[in-house]
Amino acid sequence: MNREFLLYAGLLLFGVFLSAVSQVMLKKAALRTYPSKIKEYLNPLVIFAYVIFVGTTLISVYAYRVVPLSLGPILEATSYIYVTIFGVAIFRETINIKKICGLLLIIAGIGVYALLG
Amino acid sequence: MRYSVYNMREKKQNQGKKPKRMKQNLHVYLGLHILLLVYSASIVFSKLASGYSFLSVGFILCYGMMLLLLGMYAVFWQQIIKKLPLMTAYANKAVTVVWGIVWGVVLFDEKITWGKALGAALVIAGVMLYVSGDQGKEAA
Repeated sequence: MNREFLLYAGLLLFGVFLSAVSQVMLKKAALRTYPSKIKEYLNPLVIFAYVIFVGTTLISVYAYRVVPLSLGPILEATSYIYVTIFGVAIFRETINIKKICGLLLIIAGIGVYALLG
Repeated sequence: MRYSVYNMREKKQNQGKKPKRMKQNLHVYLGLHILLLVYSASIVFSKLASGYSFLSVGFILCYGMMLLLLGMYAVFWQQIIKKLPLMTAYANKAVTVVWGIVWGVVLFDEKITWGKALGAALVIAGVMLYVSGDQGKEAA
C-alpha cells in the first residue's frame, strides 16, 4: 500500500463524508416549512446541498483514478458512521449496542480488506 | 371468545390473500435489486470516467451516464421505500459491496483475495447488524 493509494482512498473517504453532510442539509431543509412548493426545492440550503453532492461525484471520479472499483462500495460503507454521528449530534437520534457493533464490524471489515487484501 | 372467532375469520380471509401479497413483495424486492444494480452501474461509469482526461468527450459521456443513473436511482429509491421498510431497503443495499467486487473482477481485471472477501463479508455483516439496530423504528 503506497502513499499515493492512501491519498486517493482518503479523498474517496472525504467525498463520502461530504455526501453525508449534504444529506444532513437536505434533511434539515425537509424539516422546515415553505410558503410554496417551488421554494421547497429552490432555497439556498437545498441548492447548496446539491452542489456539494455533485462535487462529491467529481471527487469520487478523481479518486477512482487510483482506487480499485471493488474498494469503492467498501469505503462508502463509512457513511453509516457519519450518519450515526450527525443523527445523534444534530437530530438527537438514539444509538444502541447493535448499531455500535455494526459500525465496529464495518470499520473492522475495511481494515481487513485494506491490510489482508 | 369473540376475539378468537375474529382471529379465525381474519386468518381465513388472509389465507386467500397471502400468495398475492407474496407475489407483490417479490416484485418489490426484484425492483429493489434491479435498482441496486443500477446504483452499482453508476459506480462503474464513475470508474470509467476516471480513465479519461477532465472534460474530454469520453469523460463527459461516462460522467453524464453516471449522473443519469444516480438520478434514476434517487427517483426510484423514493418509490421503493414507500413499499418496503426503510431498514429492509438499507440492509439490502449491502449487496452493492458484492457488485463492486464482481464488476471490478469482470470489467477491470481486479484481483479478489481471501483477505478482500473476508473484509467485504465483515462490512456486509456490519451493515446488516447496524440496520437491525433500527428495528421497531421502521418509519424513521
